[in-house]
Amino acid sequence: MVGLSVGEKHFIKGGIEQNLRTDGRKRYTYRPIYVETAVIPQANGSARVKFGATEVIASVKAELGKPSPSYPDKGKVLIHVDCSPTAEPAFEGRGGEELSSELSVALQRCLLGGKSGAGAGIDLSSLSIVEGKICWDLYIEGLVVSSDGNLLDALAAAIKASLSNTALPKVQVSSAASDEQPEVDLSDEEFLQFDTCGIPAIVTLTKVGKHYILDATSEEESQMSSAVSVSVNRQGRICGLTKRGGAGLNPSVIHDMISVAKHLSEQVINKLDSEIAAAEAREEDVP
Amino acid sequence: MAGKRGATPATYSPSLTTAKGKKKPPIFTDDANWVRSDGRHFHQCRPAFLRIATVNSASGSAYAEFGNTKVIVSVFGPRESKKAMMYSDVGRLNCNVSYTTFATPSRGQGSDNKDFSSMLHKALEGAIILESFPKTTVDVFALVLESGGSDLPVIISCASLALADAGIMLYDLVAAVSVSCLGKNLVIDPISEEEVYQEGSFMISCMPSRNEVTQLTVTGEWSTPKISEAMDLCLDACSKLGNIMRSCLKEPLSAPEE
Repeated sequence: MVGLSVGEKHFIKGGIEQNLRTDGRKRYTYRPIYVETAVIPQANGSARVKFGATEVIASVKAELGKPSPSYPDKGKVLIHVDCSPTAEPAFEGRGGEELSSELSVALQRCLLGGKSGAGAGIDLSSLSIVEGKICWDLYIEGLVVSSDGNLLDALAAAIKASLSNTALPKVQVSSAASDEQPEVDLSDEEFLQFDTCGIPAIVTLTKVGKHYILDATSEEESQMSSAVSVSVNRQGRICGLTKRGGAGLNPSVIHDMISVAKHLSEQVINKLDSEIAAAEAREEDVP
Repeated sequence: MAGKRGATPATYSPSLTTAKGKKKPPIFTDDANWVRSDGRHFHQCRPAFLRIATVNSASGSAYAEFGNTKVIVSVFGPRESKKAMMYSDVGRLNCNVSYTTFATPSRGQGSDNKDFSSMLHKALEGAIILESFPKTTVDVFALVLESGGSDLPVIISCASLALADAGIMLYDLVAAVSVSCLGKNLVIDPISEEEVYQEGSFMISCMPSRNEVTQLTVTGEWSTPKISEAMDLCLDACSKLGNIMRSCLKEPLSAPEE
């Protein structure tokens, strides 16, 4: 919990009104973004992302599984977020559960689309190996290491980075009779890179007073009336939207927020892509 | 139960404000003459049946039946918050949504919707004047008797009616409506079958008289014009649903049932 005096609250709100926030940023500026890939050797792909003092880790584990009978040509992706008490004492025990489930649901909505998997940022049909028999199950695990606001954007960025770091072993299917479960061979040498160009970025606009700000710190988040998280892909199409915070919003404000988020998303996706590319280049340099 | 409708209008369907004219069903799964399985137009909602004060032991309660979706909501309180809770000078709202085991075609499917409780909480908290009951908690328990599609919007609308019945101070009633995107069409108030095939869904809950949106969720891929179209459609439907809810509250409780 953030404890702020009346003066501090006033200072934050006043700064946002004048387009100069307490840390010197403008309303639509991100904190410095830092990306590091391949941080967890046990996982198929992983990444650590820092937005200022917010730090999250995402890992991707791939397992062979059976596709669900209703969607035989699609793989499965599960997203789960864990809020560690190391980030904030309030997350201890069951305290982090509410936030964890809220973040998991928001990420699922923004990255996986509806139940049928249509409109998903992650292409589920690319995870299918033998239709109706075998597919990849991706377990995406997010961990909040340090929390200073804007967790959703950071987690989405970490998931994107960890997926672009993910290598799925090439699968050799030995042809079996059509009614049997086919045998599979996982290659140790050949890996398939996961295609991440369709994965959207989440842009959260936090409304404080009359204005919206990008990448709010937890101090700023404590002063928000509501926040809208829009997930936008490279084509500028909206892949999901969630609203947080109790206060109601006028429909015209929501329209405006969506268009601002769409405009900003381009810049965010480019920034993130270059950071991921830089992180991967760094990783290759180190033997 | 649905047979006994009071003076409330039975159906409500939004009219698109834009000059789109009448929308004939274009394409869905290559079938040019596709009609919805229950014979509705794309922009026609299911008949709404609402009743308040259905549970005697609760401070307030409401029953809603939209087609096959049947929901009952009870509100308890405001009552003293649990001892373990920290002092709070505004009231607390506690929401819980549960499904009966027989609500869904295959048993226990309702547990897929674990996030409904928090969604209900978020949709309602903006409408309740929490300052009016400090140190206390209001419990909202929703039970889905039968799941027939668009469950969450029905739960939200029904819960706000129950809150009003309990005499909790509200800024406005909350009406919620969802649309599904099927091919090129927007289908309002989808039934379960339509929800299975949907490519995108859009749910809005709003306070019609204040013209404020309390909760909004979008899944699937949408273009901006489509979002605006869905929003206009939903807001119009919400305001009409709001009127139905209002007239349900005004109906005399003493009206003899049998």
